[in-house]
Amino acid sequence: MLTIENLHVAVEEREILKGLDLSVNAGEIHAIMGPNGSGKSTLAQVLAGKDSYSVTQGRVLYRGEDLLDMEPEERARRGVFLAFQYPTEIPGVNNAYLLKAALNARREADGEPQVDAFEFMRLIRSRMELMNISKEFLNRSVNEGFSGGEKKRNEILQMLVLEPSLAVLDETDSGLDVDALKIVAAGVNSLRSDDRAMVLVTHYERLLELIVPDHVHVLSDGRIVKSGDRELARELDARGYDWVQQEAASA
Amino acid sequence: MNTEALSRQFTAELDRLSGSAETAARRAAAFDAFSATGFPTRRDEQWRYTDLRPISTAELDFAPASPSAELVSRVSESLERSGFDATASRLVFVDGSYCEALSRTTDAAGISIASLASCSEADLPAHAHAPLDGHPLATLNAAFAREGALIAAEAGARTAAPIELVFAASGHSGIAAQPRILIDLGHGADVTLVQHLLDLEPARGWFNAVTQIVQPPGSQLTLYRLQDHAEHQFHTALTRAELAEDAKLICGYFDLGGRLVRNDFDIRLKGAGADADLYGLFLASSGQHTDNHIRMDHIAPGTRSAEAFRGIIGDRGHGVFNGKVVVHRDAQHIDARQSSDNLLLADNAEIDTKPELEIYADDVKCSHGATIGELDDEQMFYLRARGLADDEARNLLTFAFANTILERIALPELRERIAERVAARLPNDETADKMR
Repeated sequence: MLTIENLHVAVEEREILKGLDLSVNAGEIHAIMGPNGSGKSTLAQVLAGKDSYSVTQGRVLYRGEDLLDMEPEERARRGVFLAFQYPTEIPGVNNAYLLKAALNARREADGEPQVDAFEFMRLIRSRMELMNISKEFLNRSVNEGFSGGEKKRNEILQMLVLEPSLAVLDETDSGLDVDALKIVAAGVNSLRSDDRAMVLVTHYERLLELIVPDHVHVLSDGRIVKSGDRELARELDARGYDWVQQEAASA
Repeated sequence: MNTEALSRQFTAELDRLSGSAETAARRAAAFDAFSATGFPTRRDEQWRYTDLRPISTAELDFAPASPSAELVSRVSESLERSGFDATASRLVFVDGSYCEALSRTTDAAGISIASLASCSEADLPAHAHAPLDGHPLATLNAAFAREGALIAAEAGARTAAPIELVFAASGHSGIAAQPRILIDLGHGADVTLVQHLLDLEPARGWFNAVTQIVQPPGSQLTLYRLQDHAEHQFHTALTRAELAEDAKLICGYFDLGGRLVRNDFDIRLKGAGADADLYGLFLASSGQHTDNHIRMDHIAPGTRSAEAFRGIIGDRGHGVFNGKVVVHRDAQHIDARQSSDNLLLADNAEIDTKPELEIYADDVKCSHGATIGELDDEQMFYLRARGLADDEARNLLTFAFANTILERIALPELRERIAERVAARLPNDETADKMR
C-alpha cells in the first residue's frame, strides 16, 4: 500500500526527515511514535502533500505509484486521508458542503455517480451517531468555534464518510479526554479492514490501548530507529524515549 | 468631452426640458457651478484615489432617445430571466428614460411611487432642490436630471414587498444617464427599496445618480442596490440622507461590475437615536476600479453608525474604501464603527483603505479597522487534502468571504438573487453555485 524509501525532507533549509524507510501493507495499522520534534507531523503532512516541505531525497510509493508527484487533491481522491493534528477553521464554508464535495470528488475519481442530498444524509447519519455529532453541526462552518474534541471527532467523521484506503492520523488523540478518545477509537476501529491501511502518529501510548497496532515504530531525529509490536509502545510508555535514542546513537 | 461640447449639450437640453423659469434657472445655476470647477481631479483630496478622466474625456450624450419597442422587449425578457418578482411595484428605466410598459406603480396603502418626469413641480418634496454643493458630479446631475423616481410614504405606511427600481442600459455607447431618486418618508414609515443596475450588452456609458433621502422621526428605510453593470460602464452615485430622531437607515450595496465605480455616501445623523447601518461588497478585477467614499456626520447625541465593507480584488483590480466619521461637538454617547476587509486575489490587485475619525465630543465610542489579506494557505491545503481542486477551493473560500456580507440581506429571495450574481462573477462560478 505504502512504501517510503530513504525519505529526506527539509523545511526552509533545515532537514527534518533524514532517510526514513517504512513499508505498510493493506490491512495493517502502523503506529509512529517519537518525542516532540522527531519529525512525526512532518511525515504526516508530506504524505498529504503540504507544499511548504521540500523533499530532497528518496521516494514514496502509494499502490506502486509516485505519491509525491500527485497534487494534494489527487491523493485525497485516490484514497489518501490525513486527519489533521490542528484542523483548520474555515468560516463561511459549512460542514455539510465540504463533506459532500469531498465525497463527490472521491466518487468521481472512482467513476461512481455523485450522491444527491437524500443519499448523502442517509450515508452520514449513522456515522454522525457513531461520532456523537449532532445534526446542527452540518450547518456550522467547518471547525469554526469547535472545541478541540469536536475538531478531532469531525476529522474522524470525514474519514468515515470518505472511506480512505490509506489513513494517516496525526496526533488525533492529543487534547482528548477519555470519553472522546473512546469515541475516536471506535470510529477508527470501525474502519479497520483487510484492504485498508492506517498510520497512527502519536506521542502517547494510551491511544494504542484502544486501537491496537500491528507494528510500532520509533521515530527519532528524522529516522525510524526501532520497530516492534504493541509491546514496544508499552515499553516506551513505561521507560520514555531516551533509551531508544541512546541505543540508536550507539548502534 | 470638452467644456464647450458639454455646454452646447446643456443649452440644447435646457430648451427641450419643460418646467418653470425657476427650474430652468436652478439648472443653469447648477451647470454654472459645475463649469466653475469642472470634473474633480486627483489633486482634490476627496478624489485622490479615483481618476475621472475616462469619464471626462469620453464622448457622451446627455439626451439619449427613448428606448425602442424592440429594446423594451429585450429588457422585459432579461428581467424575467433574472427572476424578478413579476408582482412587485417597480419603476423601470432604460438608457435613462422611464419605461412605462415595464413599470407597475400600483400604490400600496400610503405609499406612492412615481417617475420623476410625471410629477408636477408642486409634487416634489422640498429637499428635491437642496443644494448639492461640494460634489461636482451631483451638481452636474442637478443640471441634467430629468428622470428618476419619487418614493413617498405617508406616516406609518410600510411596504409589504420591496419596491424595485431597475436601471437597464441597452449597450449603446456614450449614453450619460443622470437619474435622480427622491425618497420622502412620513413619521414612522418603513420602506424597503431595491435598486438594480444592469446592462443588456457591454457599453461604454456613464450612469451618474443622486439619491436624496429625508427621514423623519421613527422612520426606517432599507435600501439595497445590486450594481451589475457589464465591464465598460462608468458608474458614479451620491446617496445623501438626513435622519431625524430614532430614524433608521440600512444600506446594502453590492458592486459587481462597471469599469470605474464611485459611490459617495453623505449621511447626517441629526436626531438623537438615529441609526445608519451601511454595508457593502464589491468585486474589482480585470482593470475595474471601485471606490466607496463615505462621510458620516454624527450631529446629535446618542446616534449610532456602522460601516462594514468587503472588497474582493482580482487581476488588475483597484478597490478603495475611504470612510470618514465626524462626531460633532455635543454629539455625546455616540457609537460609530467602521470596518473594511479586503481579499486580494492577484499580485497586481490593489486596495487603498482609509478609515478616518474626526471627533469633537468627549464621551463617544468609535472603532475602526481595516484588513487586507490573501486566501489562507492552511485553509486551501485543508480543502485540497479533502479532494477539492485548487480552483474549486479558491472559489469556495472567496465566496465564503463574500458570504459574510450576503448573509446580512434580510430578504431571502433577494439574498439568493444577489448571491447568484456574486457567484457568477467570481473567477469560476461553479463551486459557489453548488454551495447554495
